Amino acid sequence: MRDAWRVLLDTGSGRVGVAFLAILVLVSLFVVVRLPLDFGSTRWNNPAVWADNPKSAPPAWWAWFRPGKTVPHAVFQSSGPASGGLEQTYAFSYALKGDTPPSFMAFSLSDVRFSDRPPVVSMEVRRADGKSVVLLRQVVRGPRPGEQPPYVRYQDTPLRLNLSGENDVLANVGGWFQDEFGVNVAPDELQGKLEAAVFGVPTPGQPGEFQPLRGDYQFVVRAAMGNPSDSVGNVKVVMGGTVYGVMGTDALGRDLALGLLFGFPVALVIGLSTSLLSTTLGTFLGILSGYMGGKTDIAIQRFSDIWSNIPLLPILVFLIFVLGQKLWLVVLMMILFGWPGLAIVVRSMVLQMRSGQLVEATQALGASRMRIMFRHILFQIAPFVFAQMIFFTPAAILAEAGLSFLGLGDPSIPTWGQILESGFRTGAVYVGYWWWVLPPGLLIVATAMTFVLLTLGLEPVVNPRLRSMR
Amino acid sequence: MSLAFTLAVRGLTLLGVLVLVLLLVVVVLGATGFSDRMLTAIVNEELRGIREGMARTIHDPDQLEAAVKARRQELVDFYGLNKPWYTRLPDMVKRVVTLDLGEARNLRSFKGSPKVASLIMERLPYTVLLLTTATLITTVIGLVVGVKLATQVGTFLDRGVSYLSAVSYALPAWWAGILLIVLLAFDLHLLPAGGLHSTPPPQGGLLRFLDLLYHAILPITTLVLVSLGAWIYTVRTMVLNTAQEFFVTVARAKGLPESRVMRRYILRVAAPPILTNVVLGLAASLGGAILTETVFNWPGMGRLYYEAIMTADESVIVALTFMFTLLYVAARFLLEVLYVVLDPRIRYT
Repeated sequence: MRDAWRVLLDTGSGRVGVAFLAILVLVSLFVVVRLPLDFGSTRWNNPAVWADNPKSAPPAWWAWFRPGKTVPHAVFQSSGPASGGLEQTYAFSYALKGDTPPSFMAFSLSDVRFSDRPPVVSMEVRRADGKSVVLLRQVVRGPRPGEQPPYVRYQDTPLRLNLSGENDVLANVGGWFQDEFGVNVAPDELQGKLEAAVFGVPTPGQPGEFQPLRGDYQFVVRAAMGNPSDSVGNVKVVMGGTVYGVMGTDALGRDLALGLLFGFPVALVIGLSTSLLSTTLGTFLGILSGYMGGKTDIAIQRFSDIWSNIPLLPILVFLIFVLGQKLWLVVLMMILFGWPGLAIVVRSMVLQMRSGQLVEATQALGASRMRIMFRHILFQIAPFVFAQMIFFTPAAILAEAGLSFLGLGDPSIPTWGQILESGFRTGAVYVGYWWWVLPPGLLIVATAMTFVLLTLGLEPVVNPRLRSMR
Repeated sequence: MSLAFTLAVRGLTLLGVLVLVLLLVVVVLGATGFSDRMLTAIVNEELRGIREGMARTIHDPDQLEAAVKARRQELVDFYGLNKPWYTRLPDMVKRVVTLDLGEARNLRSFKGSPKVASLIMERLPYTVLLLTTATLITTVIGLVVGVKLATQVGTFLDRGVSYLSAVSYALPAWWAGILLIVLLAFDLHLLPAGGLHSTPPPQGGLLRFLDLLYHAILPITTLVLVSLGAWIYTVRTMVLNTAQEFFVTVARAKGLPESRVMRRYILRVAAPPILTNVVLGLAASLGGAILTETVFNWPGMGRLYYEAIMTADESVIVALTFMFTLLYVAARFLLEVLYVVLDPRIRYT
């Protein structure tokens, strides 16, 4: 065993393969420890989690290649509930460095408690030129008939306002421009330009156009209470970026870095469990077929002949479509359809061995058939079987990716294939969203390559004649 | 005698594949209640036609309902919907084999027919065109380059190809296709990203055909690229193995020209296993075609598969599963026949 390890590390491809595998395993462990196992259903496929993220945004480091043309994503949050006093004030500083205004502005409020009069929440922007504009004035919904104080609002689902789409906000900003700059901007005209207006000054001579105004801004959120014991839980202000995170986001605003990370352990589990079990099955049946001979042999061989000729992907598509989109089903099917090739090869190896001296000697010693088959013969072919197992690992990963790409992925478990599928289905491929399409594919190829390289590195272990040729 | 026997054994095995797949499909459909739903859909479809016909002769609504209900009972009896699913197995097998699976739910053929059989028959030629062209190109390039490489073992080029073959095992063709679309179709605007014809399609037979070829370049290139590395490596290894045989050394010792040694002595002997790999590659690319056609919006049977999954159309999926198996088995049987023709050793043992 130690010998095999040394031979593996002796070859270039073996070393690279081992290094890649180490990375795969480490990342997977990290993910299993840090992300919840029900990540897919509770977070990945829950739009509420991703509401405050920019949609289809490239990675944050893309900004280096587009200086001044991007704006980072900024989230401001109050720390915990604040109470006492009739007015609560939260101030957040924001610096506009480039020429691009935020892609959207969102405001969220949660866990508001009051005893008689509902609090009034307002949001004001202090601009870089010293002027102030009030964007929003929101009255928390009052008591319902029959409701008893204290009244609790937005406890389970926070109040979330996308300021760019609120008619009140458009009207407020339009009126403000009229007062401050004397330009007439209708609220309709501000549609889609709200951020440019709030973070800019009107372009002279071009009505409806704005020039960016760089500098330091401050968002001031005020909550006016009716009673000193009233409280406001959490206040969140989001200035949407045009870039986001390490790997960008998809069309739903999902952080692709998280989805890609979660794909690591999933891919490893799919690949290794499938290859381990189907190799075990194939080896067992192969040894049985080769050593027992006779009717057992004929039955197993005829069956593997037929079974190995079934075209895999069409059958997988059919079975997964009819039986349901479950990942464990995909793994089970891959195990059931993966063994015959190996069984045929193992049988021919066992046939050679059966007439060899080792088997003859153990038979003479009175060893049982079971003992000969699964101790002596199995240990002889173990290196070959192990290499086959490594070689078979990518097959399952690639098959799962293909199925996911056809829209047959397990919706509760995000995989690289599914990320690619959503990119393809929503047309990301055709508009050049490379951060959505390239990384998952590269990860699939890199993972598959890891096992191919390991197989290449293991070749001298399996076939000792190759060792001297190095 | 032995020749016919060999062929018969292989033919029976492949027939077994077909039967097994059919059984699998039919049993899974029956046990999960899918076949009930499919047959009910067929009954409803027939009833709609019957109701219209009856409405012309029977004017009393109550009478019409009663007549339709009686007809429905007849149909349910006829299709065996009132009996457990396993009693319908033979009938279901017959339906799948003859593609008599009623109408597709949303999908329509180019001419507008919803019949599953016409949908599939219409798409079949495009799949066959794509796969055979790609396989043909790969084979020819692989043979030329592989034979050449066999004379340059250990060179830089040779090592490069062996790594390329490892990469092509790990590279999914559909992802490579997406890369090519992004690069060639959207960044460089060299080739169309997908589809069969430009919009509007050019008139005239020749122009139309050229337009089709133009659209086929990208999918075919993808299919060739992802399989070429492995294929060249296979040819090279097989030629190399044969070249080490004694009879080749003898031929060289006799002073025969190298080109003759290569053609008559090496390639002739290496041909059967090489051919095996060609047809195996063709058969394997059948499954891959589902994905490649999807990526390139190539309206063959593979793309139809994707569309059927997207619209949850079970009859089309069943029919396609059978058709793909049938094509696969047909390709494999072709291989067996060719093998017997090419390899005299099989004939005389």
